[in-house]
Amino acid sequence: MTTVSFAQRGTDSSRMNLDEVVVTATRTPRSMGNIAIPVSVVSSKTLYQSGSLRLNDILAEQTGIQVIDNFGKGIQVQGLSSEYTLILIDGEPLIGRTAGVLDLSKITVKNIRKIEIVKGPSSSLYGSEAMGGVINIITDRAGQNKTDLGLRYGRFNTVDGNLNFSRRINKTDLAASLNYNQSKGYSLKPNAVQKTVEPFRRSTQNLSIHQQLGKQWKAGASFRANASHIDNTIFVQNLGTTIASKGFEKNEEYNFTPYLQFNKELKIKSILRGYLTGFNALQQLDVKNAAGGYDDRFRQLFARVENQTDWQISENAAFTAGAGMVRETVRSNRYDTASTLRTNTIAYFFAQHEQKISSKLTWIGGLRFDANQAYASVWSPKIAFQYKPSDKVKLNVSYGRGFKAPDFRQLYLNFTNVAAGAYSVFGSEVAVSELKRLSAAQLLDQTTALAGSLSALKPEVSGGLNAGIVYTLDASSQFTANIFRNDLKNMIVTDVIAFKKNGGQIFSYFNLKRALTQGLELGAQQKIGQWIQLNAGYQFLYTADKEVLQSIKKGEVFQRSLTNGQAYRMSLSDYGGLPNRSRHTANLKFNADNAKGYFSTIRLIYRSSWGTSDLDGNGLINRADEYAKGHLQVNTSIGLPLDSHWKCMAGIDNLFNYKDIQFLPGNPGRTAYLDIQFIF
Amino acid sequence: MRSSRIIGSAMLALVVFQACKKNEAPVVVPTLTEKTVSGIPADTIVGLVNGQPVGAGRYTFFSFETNAVVPSTDSNSVKWDVAVRGTTIITNGGNSGPGAGGAFVYVGTFDDVKAVPKDSIFRQDNAPTSYAVPNTSNRGWYVYSPVTMLITPIPGRVLVFKTAKGKYAKVEILNYYKGGVTPAATATDAEKLKNQRYYTFRFAYQADGTMNFK
Repeated sequence: MTTVSFAQRGTDSSRMNLDEVVVTATRTPRSMGNIAIPVSVVSSKTLYQSGSLRLNDILAEQTGIQVIDNFGKGIQVQGLSSEYTLILIDGEPLIGRTAGVLDLSKITVKNIRKIEIVKGPSSSLYGSEAMGGVINIITDRAGQNKTDLGLRYGRFNTVDGNLNFSRRINKTDLAASLNYNQSKGYSLKPNAVQKTVEPFRRSTQNLSIHQQLGKQWKAGASFRANASHIDNTIFVQNLGTTIASKGFEKNEEYNFTPYLQFNKELKIKSILRGYLTGFNALQQLDVKNAAGGYDDRFRQLFARVENQTDWQISENAAFTAGAGMVRETVRSNRYDTASTLRTNTIAYFFAQHEQKISSKLTWIGGLRFDANQAYASVWSPKIAFQYKPSDKVKLNVSYGRGFKAPDFRQLYLNFTNVAAGAYSVFGSEVAVSELKRLSAAQLLDQTTALAGSLSALKPEVSGGLNAGIVYTLDASSQFTANIFRNDLKNMIVTDVIAFKKNGGQIFSYFNLKRALTQGLELGAQQKIGQWIQLNAGYQFLYTADKEVLQSIKKGEVFQRSLTNGQAYRMSLSDYGGLPNRSRHTANLKFNADNAKGYFSTIRLIYRSSWGTSDLDGNGLINRADEYAKGHLQVNTSIGLPLDSHWKCMAGIDNLFNYKDIQFLPGNPGRTAYLDIQFIF
Repeated sequence: MRSSRIIGSAMLALVVFQACKKNEAPVVVPTLTEKTVSGIPADTIVGLVNGQPVGAGRYTFFSFETNAVVPSTDSNSVKWDVAVRGTTIITNGGNSGPGAGGAFVYVGTFDDVKAVPKDSIFRQDNAPTSYAVPNTSNRGWYVYSPVTMLITPIPGRVLVFKTAKGKYAKVEILNYYKGGVTPAATATDAEKLKNQRYYTFRFAYQADGTMNFK
């Protein structure tokens, strides 16, 4: 994606990675040792040796990242949930979120060169969603003159087939890849009529072409298409009567990225990029069924034009500026009829300056402004300092603001559940007119005080502070520590605006909640001898809803005893924070390999207990029975190169067969697989 | 503040009382009863109509004074104080009964209500539009989860009642399911429906007509 003056090293992750070049942290290529914010890289070698198929597989093994199974496999970074984390493929944002969650199992890792993970807010460069962190997936380089073919078979009839092709023809670099992935699904409960995970099949195609045009110009384009089909058979039970509804879910996504790049003597680089991406989702349940069919259509389109110019002012100063426009549209029957078009237009600019003050001290400052049509505009600044008192020690401090724009659901949703409680949810832009309509039809009982404060939603914003140290003892040992704190405000929550005469509640969206996440992340890498590498990571996490903290202090929050059922006042220590957050997470990875390609890995992934949902009526996580059990998962793999063309690997994930039917439905238990690769 | 004033005036009354009859030992009759009641059916589910669970439409009547269920034949009398049907709680007053009853929802623990605050306003039933104890989710005494389809009493809600005969009682609802045990979130819909509409609650009833629960 970028041609740079920096020497590119191989993907040998057994070396300490301070000279690994990353692009995500500053939108310019920088070696990791010179970046003042928390950043880590997953190499293609780690991806291969871990036996990962989909993006969630590999991210689940990274320190400080949790994969949460809710509307797909979303991630949590620094305690912020999936909707506050930006996922990029080669620098361009992926769309197609459901309830804010971007399902990472849509993304194959079989054509990935590396994954860059930046923690803390980066909205100063990327705009919306870059609050908790940015994950940038960097696909295989074009023009490499290599072709490989891979096939995997695993439990539950899991098949993954892959073809990667990369070639240079004259001055044209080409890359193409195909991936097919399927599973027949599984049931965690024996004799269950409905499967826990339904059968699915997915495919991904990639094509990219890059053309050098003389000395200074380069042009190219990438195209990616992704499709998935999930069978869906739902059994509804009503006092003994079982109604089966057959259906399916279909998701399609495509991206197209043309660009034109200009380089002048390594001093100026300017790139003009277009980006067009679409996401179509269709869910249908047996429309002929007397119990009522279900038909959900969602079509999202995102188009962007952007220029970014990097200017190397001197040896000690670099400046980057950019500007762009986004147009986003959605058609969905979740908001009125499937033909109603909802749009948003965003114009933005950003700038970043990096200055080396002395051989020890560097600062970098950035600022971005997003002007939005459908909601309020937002400024996102960021400042970072790096201090290197010696070759062995690197100190980093950064502060940035992140934001997330209100999504179309929060603006335009128009949903009424006729079965459970007859409740309705209206987006902030349609709530007033819907209330008027219901009132005119004499269906409204009364409105709440909040109904009077319905207004245009503001973006959710956060302030994130990171301070860390990287200590490199010698060529074989490195330790890292980072403390973080994110303060979120204007968080969008649903609240009751009115009651219907039939008792149903009406909800809309408000910028009401404030929350905080803070913690500590530790990491250690140790090389033992020539072949063995140990990696350890740990995260301590504390999260809270600030409004709840205040109410608890005022004595306004109660809980119900498990023993006698009586209510009593809740204390701060009873409060379990935001749901789905584990206080302690840790990993220990053992890896042995040699130059011939033999390898073995053992990876221990630990997660302490986490709050699931309220059971005692106060809407909070507080009681022992509201937590899921903490657990340790062990994954292992071995690799056997057969000859220069054939590579073979086998692995077992979840070796000790840990299962939690209720809270980890996405974990099928022990799974074994065999993977064969042919390199032409 | 309020409760200390009440205690103060009670002590003053005691002093006056003792001053008049200083030669006789005062006879202390306990007037406050505190009980926990369970298994009060509240129009339990008898079947499905249009796929929706329904009961027979009957209230169960209860008297704080006698700590017993009152037969429905006495529904037009002041023998009952409170009646339950599903999540709806009615008082013997307003358009629900001939008594002087009313109620309001107090936010706090059962023990916090040491006396009925003097400036309390007892709401009255105006069925079916409004009830002294609001009968919708998250507005009165319970919360309904559309996810688990379970009804849970909100902790820290005390229902303060004026009885049919104008006396005072306070109630904490502990559970809405048979045996006082809420089914697991993973239980079947049938199990959740079959076991619902059974009240477990504790109450304190002051027989002497004062507002004290001490």
